[in-house]
Amino acid sequence: MRSGTANINIDEAVLIEQCRRGDFTAMERLIIKYQNRIYNVILKMCPNPDDAEELTQETFVKILEGIENFNGRSSFYTWAFRIAVNLTINHRKRGQKLVTRSIDAEDSEYNEQARTQLKEFLRDDGSPEPSAVAQNKELCRIIVDSLSKLDDTQRAVIVLRDIEDMSYAQIADVLDIELGTVKSRLSRARSSLREILEANFQ
Amino acid sequence: MKENLNIDEMLNGFIDGELTVRQQTEIQRLIRHDPQVAQQLRQLQRCKMLVGALPRNEAPDDMLERVKASLERRTLFGDEGNGFNRQKGAKHLLGRRLLAVAAIVGLVAVLGTVIYSIVAPESVSEKSNPLRRETKLIVAKPEHILTDVAGRLVAAAAFRGRLELKTADFTAVDAFIRRAIEDNGISEYLGSVIQNNKSVYTLACGRDRLNSLLSDMENIWPRFGSATLFVEQDRLGEEIAVTGVSPLRIAEVIGQDSYEKRIVAAKKFAALNEVNALLPGRQVMAAIDGRKPLSITIPRPVLTSGEKTVEKSSRWAVTGEKVQLIIIVVPINRGQ
Repeated sequence: MRSGTANINIDEAVLIEQCRRGDFTAMERLIIKYQNRIYNVILKMCPNPDDAEELTQETFVKILEGIENFNGRSSFYTWAFRIAVNLTINHRKRGQKLVTRSIDAEDSEYNEQARTQLKEFLRDDGSPEPSAVAQNKELCRIIVDSLSKLDDTQRAVIVLRDIEDMSYAQIADVLDIELGTVKSRLSRARSSLREILEANFQ
Repeated sequence: MKENLNIDEMLNGFIDGELTVRQQTEIQRLIRHDPQVAQQLRQLQRCKMLVGALPRNEAPDDMLERVKASLERRTLFGDEGNGFNRQKGAKHLLGRRLLAVAAIVGLVAVLGTVIYSIVAPESVSEKSNPLRRETKLIVAKPEHILTDVAGRLVAAAAFRGRLELKTADFTAVDAFIRRAIEDNGISEYLGSVIQNNKSVYTLACGRDRLNSLLSDMENIWPRFGSATLFVEQDRLGEEIAVTGVSPLRIAEVIGQDSYEKRIVAAKKFAALNEVNALLPGRQVMAAIDGRKPLSITIPRPVLTSGEKTVEKSSRWAVTGEKVQLIIIVVPINRGQ
């Protein structure tokens, strides 16, 4: 089963019911359970850590405000992430607190070693080692910056799939779109991301 | 173009494990026979791996506190006009804080009462002299009326208890108690025995006689290392232990005119002693903080009227029903 299971388990159902009754201890448990995952997804969609923290906080406030009206038609997991993703997309649309940087200037900032490593990862037959990528901060920065250059809806679908490891059905539920739209959007998103990444060493 | 799009989606579905078995078989066949499709698949896989390899970021440590603060702020000030005042969670949080404040006020009140009872002026303490109260009681409700109206009940509910006295001056104290019993003419004195080096005196006498004996024993009270009164609870088959007891407190417990009142008085003294064990305040605070409280020894019973021999006065001279008291004198080493 995926880490972000769609099926609401019994413990979580009890927790949600307790939250509905106003049990703040249950709310604390719910926040602790999801805070890292929601923050991680938001940060990948909105790379400014201060904004990501504020958006995560706002997400939980909205979740707790709206939990009384949570009807259970979708899973709590996708419902919570829908709030997080919508808040983040709206925030970026409004352009609040966004750090806008020149793409050219960004490109020139990357060091040669990271560019070469990226080129090897994308062109060589061997698969990149995740640990090697994670340890190279400069390479991580290139990938995050490349993600941020995607269209908001494309970025959301790629982050939910490749970082949060959601199924297509869950992504459709979070973004409130058809399953076929998820497939086409993900296909375009990966294609665009590859082009952006390759632009760094061409 | 449409066909290419479908292949792209199929390849993405393949690397994401979202295809049916039939679709998977079809893609595998394509990969085997078309190097371009195989290359495209590898590129997609690498792109997916790069994104998936990004390190996971953890939320700030204070996220929980920040959410709480935000909820509180909205509750108290109605921020953002979202009607969050209706939210039960925030109300619950507010309720918990009010409850905590109420608990602190209650604790301060209890401690204040205890401290006041200790440091109150003598004149105030005198008002609560148990023997005076008992005298009033007897005037208001004479003994004979109690026995006339419900003699059988009163007899059944007569005081029964045990007084355990530990002393380092065993021989002298023991001789004093024996002589005091005889001097007070307690004819119902059933005798004494020595058991395991302890002296056991079994008394069944009127309250007036017992009060007279207690008055005499007040003179030697400072020589007891500890004095504990065990009051029998007939209805529960248990005993209430009142530690650090003084003759006046014993008289007050025994002097109550009903079984229920005696039990209440004994429990009150026992509870007071337990609270006393937590004084002074820093021990209470230590207990609240979860630190190990300091060890406190309950003070020796003190002679309430000074070192001089107490003359028997009318305050001890009360009439009363029969009581049963076993006095046990236990020898201990000095400093124990």
